[in-house]
Amino acid sequence: MEILLSSLAAGLLIGMALALVALGLTIIFGVMDIVNFAHGEFLMIGMYTGLFTAQATGLDPLFTLPVAALVGFLLGGVCYYGFIRFLIRGPMVAQLLGTFGLMLFLRNLALLIFGSEDRALHHGLLVGRSIDVGMGVIIPATKLAAAVLAIFSFWAVWMLMNRTHVGKALTATALNPQGARYMGIPTEKMNALAWGIGGATVTIAGALLVNFWSVNPFVGLLFTMIAFTIVALGGFGSVRGAFFAALVVGLIMEFPGFWDFFSYTFDIQWMYDIPMTSFKYTWVYLAYFIIMVARPRGLFGWKH
Amino acid sequence: MEALRNAFDFSDSPRVDLVIAAMVAVALLLFPLFSPSSFAIATIIQFFIFALYGMGWNTIGGYGGQVDLGKAQYVGIGAYTTAVMLIRWDIPFWVSMPIGMFFSITWSFIIGYPLFRLKGHYFAIATIATSLVLKDLFEIWDFVGAARGLEISPIKYSPPDFLRLIFKQDIYYYYVIFGFFLLGILIINWFRRSRLGFQLRAIKDNEDVARSLGINVHLSKVKTYAIATAFVSMVGSFHACYIKNIEPEDTMSLDISILIALMAMLGGAGSLWGPIIGAGVLIPLKSYLKEWLGARGGLVGIDLIIYAAIIMVISAREPRGIWGIVERVRRRKRL
Repeated sequence: MEILLSSLAAGLLIGMALALVALGLTIIFGVMDIVNFAHGEFLMIGMYTGLFTAQATGLDPLFTLPVAALVGFLLGGVCYYGFIRFLIRGPMVAQLLGTFGLMLFLRNLALLIFGSEDRALHHGLLVGRSIDVGMGVIIPATKLAAAVLAIFSFWAVWMLMNRTHVGKALTATALNPQGARYMGIPTEKMNALAWGIGGATVTIAGALLVNFWSVNPFVGLLFTMIAFTIVALGGFGSVRGAFFAALVVGLIMEFPGFWDFFSYTFDIQWMYDIPMTSFKYTWVYLAYFIIMVARPRGLFGWKH
Repeated sequence: MEALRNAFDFSDSPRVDLVIAAMVAVALLLFPLFSPSSFAIATIIQFFIFALYGMGWNTIGGYGGQVDLGKAQYVGIGAYTTAVMLIRWDIPFWVSMPIGMFFSITWSFIIGYPLFRLKGHYFAIATIATSLVLKDLFEIWDFVGAARGLEISPIKYSPPDFLRLIFKQDIYYYYVIFGFFLLGILIINWFRRSRLGFQLRAIKDNEDVARSLGINVHLSKVKTYAIATAFVSMVGSFHACYIKNIEPEDTMSLDISILIALMAMLGGAGSLWGPIIGAGVLIPLKSYLKEWLGARGGLVGIDLIIYAAIIMVISAREPRGIWGIVERVRRRKRL
């Protein structure tokens, strides 16, 4: 029972942080119909930003979020004006490989600058602390803080998208770019803004994740795939869908925990023999495949 | 008979192309006689391998417009079938290669049927997902050596062993893969003039119109996917005998899949010579950049940075690749 509860808690907590990772991807896809393969690399840059700002200033990594957001916003804007703007004129094949090129570029730039070793934070207000909720569930303070701040950022973006003029303009650009242009909406700027917001949210997520996840230049791909799964499950372009889908994906990632629970509780011999922990992310990939084949629109999708 | 005639019929290519192609082929045939360095031989073998991968990708990705980023899983299936059969049961290459192709094609049918319900980005990401699932499976499967992989030790055999394709000198491998390469060109030439090839180009241009003309879109895609798979699996089997040491990370990683798609994209997807040109530009560039910049300067990753920059420029500026530039120049001359 304790394993079950702590797996549930861990899955939901990580899911909330992952929701923020996927948010940027779904916004960019919703507004521009382009899949950003470099999304995980943006996250990696956010992680490095959080790490180095914390180490340089001696502040707690949680206070580095504004820096990470600024870096991400600029990164998204620069990528849009310098590269994506030219890319979207071409066919879909070129778009796919173009963002793939961006991914390889950023990853190897990080490899060149930072080296390939794992880096992690060892200091900070919350590192190493935890809260005992009872029933055997122990929640690490870093993960809780990440989850809470992720929800807060998510709420802020949701408000921006739904309650402001800029958000309405973004939605209009997503629904019908040409019509939006006729209504006097600067769609080019809106696209750039979508990239900026997408970049800022994902780097914030990176700065939150670096509290409990060590960073190296190759960390991106895993998160790109996780974000794709979340966005596919939630429906491409849906902000609300991304949040609930992220919780589901968080639980899928804790599948080994549930597996352990069943094998202990019912004492099934063959279940012990399967090394489920090495399959941790396989389930995420498999989930993507099954979701796409069974329900391509996702849970809340409006684009297909 | 018709198919055979189609395979050897290059009459729709301009004569200049054929002369250049023949000259390059003769140069490649004679190249090892000038006793070049083993590095150059290895680079050209890599070129052949990736040109063949690219040709396979080109059938579904170039002519059909379905961007497949999971080709590495078939490299893995082919390589592992050959390696496992050779090590465990001493089955020679020429037998295990068709068996590997059979396994690959079976797997491609299993995943192809659901996969081709998807389009565009969705399809591309789903192929990555299947490839990664298969790689994770191979990494814990003890029968195929798990994450350590398999090693074919040449000591047990007496090279040159033409049945098992175990050689000491790379030059034998060079000529074997050269044969495959010429065969591959003929097969692609047959494919692009076959009924299936025309159906696929119709699908690429407009799927709904193709369907209304009575083309079974789904079946055509799955069939072509099987052809692409057979290509990649065949070369994967060769790769196992050539490298002799295969592990999931080397043979089935996403990087391989991307590299395969890139060859064809850079050269010009959907053309006969495109993947060959792409491999001819990228592979020497990659190995020499790595040799000069990576190893000597101690700058890890700089080769891939330059590489990525090329991809970005090509995809933003000339999405139809090098072959697109060639065709544009030609059209301008004619006007």
